[in-house]
Amino acid sequence: MPKCTINGKEVEVKEGSTIMEAYYQTGEAIAHYCYHPGLSVAGVCRLCICEIEGNPRPQIACNTVVTEGMKINNKSEKIKDGVKWVLDFHLINHPLDCPICDQAGECGLQDQYMEFGKYNPEMSERKVKKHKVVDLGPRVVLDSERCILCSRCTRFTEEVTKTNELGLFNRGDRTEIGVVEGKQLDNNYSMNTVDICPVGALTSKDFRFRQRVWYLKDADTICTGCSTGCNTKVYFNKEGIFRIKPRYNPDVNGHWMTDTGRDAYKFVNREARLLRAQKHTGSGWTELAPGQAAKDVSADLKSAAGDSLALVLTAQYTLEEYEAIIPAFINEFKTKKIYFWINNKESFDDFDGLLARGDKNPNTKGLLRVMEKHGLSGSWSDLEAGLNSGAIKTVVVAGPENQFVFPDMNEKIKLLSKAKKLVWMQSGKNEALNALSGDVTLIPMKSYIEKEGTYVNFKGLEQKVKRVTTVVSEALTLTEATMLMAGRNLTIPTTKELFVESNRREDEVMLEHRKKNEFVFRRGSL
Amino acid sequence: MSVVQNTGEKKNWYLPGIFTGLGITMKHLFYNLLNRKKMITLDYPEQKYEYSPRFKGNHILTVKKDGSLRCTACMLCATNCPAECIKITAAEHEDPSVEKYPISYEIDMLRCVFCGFCEEACPVDAIRLGPEWQTPGLSGTNFIYDIQKLAYRPQLKGGILTHVDDEERHKAGI
Ligand code: SF4
Ligand code: SF4
Ligand code: SF4
Ligand code: FES
Repeated sequence: MPKCTINGKEVEVKEGSTIMEAYYQTGEAIAHYCYHPGLSVAGVCRLCICEIEGNPRPQIACNTVVTEGMKINNKSEKIKDGVKWVLDFHLINHPLDCPICDQAGECGLQDQYMEFGKYNPEMSERKVKKHKVVDLGPRVVLDSERCILCSRCTRFTEEVTKTNELGLFNRGDRTEIGVVEGKQLDNNYSMNTVDICPVGALTSKDFRFRQRVWYLKDADTICTGCSTGCNTKVYFNKEGIFRIKPRYNPDVNGHWMTDTGRDAYKFVNREARLLRAQKHTGSGWTELAPGQAAKDVSADLKSAAGDSLALVLTAQYTLEEYEAIIPAFINEFKTKKIYFWINNKESFDDFDGLLARGDKNPNTKGLLRVMEKHGLSGSWSDLEAGLNSGAIKTVVVAGPENQFVFPDMNEKIKLLSKAKKLVWMQSGKNEALNALSGDVTLIPMKSYIEKEGTYVNFKGLEQKVKRVTTVVSEALTLTEATMLMAGRNLTIPTTKELFVESNRREDEVMLEHRKKNEFVFRRGSL
Repeated sequence: MSVVQNTGEKKNWYLPGIFTGLGITMKHLFYNLLNRKKMITLDYPEQKYEYSPRFKGNHILTVKKDGSLRCTACMLCATNCPAECIKITAAEHEDPSVEKYPISYEIDMLRCVFCGFCEEACPVDAIRLGPEWQTPGLSGTNFIYDIQKLAYRPQLKGGILTHVDDEERHKAGI
């Protein structure tokens, strides 16, 4: 274990680590573009130069291995000047597109320029023109002029997805990123290239021009797109949620996440949501407040208590919610007819070798755990038989939050609507539900962004999430709905619950100069 | 807020100020009474005061040579606006050399404080504060100016040409 000194601080690093890794370990700042902890070392951007005592020339930190007793420093004037002129070379052909570039506000070039640059450009030649708005695939757009050729994206497709769609073409200052002819960047991890691109060369089609990044706040949560439970950051403001990016967690997802998981904000936004409770009585639909609707069904459920009452659960809710609703049905409504609605049985155990799993529910393990604890083992065919014979008259459904991953949605609605009375709790709108007639109550639920709870991923890892923001303020969590249905009142949150720890990263404003501009960055809230 | 309490002699120091002020008022009163021709009162609205052409009045969105908006929807004006009265929706332009443009650009004139920060923030000379200032309206919605009003209102006679020309810049290789 060699020891070295980084800017005067002594650290002990693992055998064979590079200086860059030592910098990461100490938390000292070092400028870099091409190095990414999840990829191999390329050493092409030359921005990470640092001084090593006894060595007359600056060395790059990402490709130099630490040896015993090395004294490393990147705070000297010589290094600052070096970084400045390396940056000048990066910016020689830069189109200065910031006004129309989506990366502006979180761009490596802007950040490092404010930190080290601030020079007067000395280039009098014409800039090299390259291709703009190149369509790389269904989700990614390339702007070659902005690219600094760090090769992070090509290394990603080479090393992580092993699909090799991207490559560097031509030579010298005419080098461009591109896809191999006849190919498209269409793998399920393509948007990670957008995240790792330090500049605005690769941008996401989905997020393109929808918001400037300084209007967005970010908070930590986990992805509910599949049972892997990737750790994510959601970017939101008061208009809704705009994008999702991965967050590093070595135990779950590493640095990456899938493109399908990035769509997990679409069913959370207001357009897709059920805003008020709806009740179908003889004549048609009437709207009412969700809490009222849950209270209204309480009397019916009490009178139906016993074997004619069934509960259908999807694995899309939190552990705490299952812990609330399952005992309530067993003890207060005296029924053990509680069934697990499995959405895609055939592909349930699929795995693509990297992250995506066939089980598209975030909490299958959690639901099974609670059901087992209460000794429940009802199979779906029992429910079907009960509904067909008329033995089950009242059905309460905790429907899916993410309806896109429930291909059997319409089929199941048809089946469950055979019950005399149907109470359907769900966060999103659904045409088929609104086409039902008979005694139906729809109750809006909160989505995973709006509540606290625990999800258990495929390998049994419990992950707690905190509330991020509120989209539909009236909607209920399953716990609240259970309490109202059981005839209890909602507890008024005590002070302790109200002032939950804030779900804001401490390092939200990361670079020093951004800290200075914090006021400007935070203020925008249009 | 803290209040400084004056005690003792200092307490009467406001008196000289008051008498000076009153003196000025009286001077003007007698001057105007004796020289009524030279009085600078305007009979508005028959008579109007000509402000300097640099007066910061209603906004103008400038246009390019082909008559389309110069604005690139970068939202720097909206970010810089202290009254938060600018609302822009950006969209992808079909011409890749334009790339981004605003499909809607609205300024709520009743919230605007005419500070001119938007004009200063704009990187491409797309928004200016023009000299017009008398713009009455009958309802609140008349004061939410959209692109039509900001760029092509009749007073602008087809639009004000911007100083920044992308084509020239591209030709010069910048
Ligand atoms: S597109 Fe981005 S990630 Fe890829 S080489 Fe260029 S700058 Fe690097
Ligand atoms: S003049 Fe000032 S207040 Fe009015 S729109 Fe511009 S920045 Fe906003
Ligand atoms: S007016 Fe200027 S600052 Fe405002 S969005 Fe348009 S280009 Fe940007
Ligand atoms: S980070 Fe070391 S050369 Fe790019």
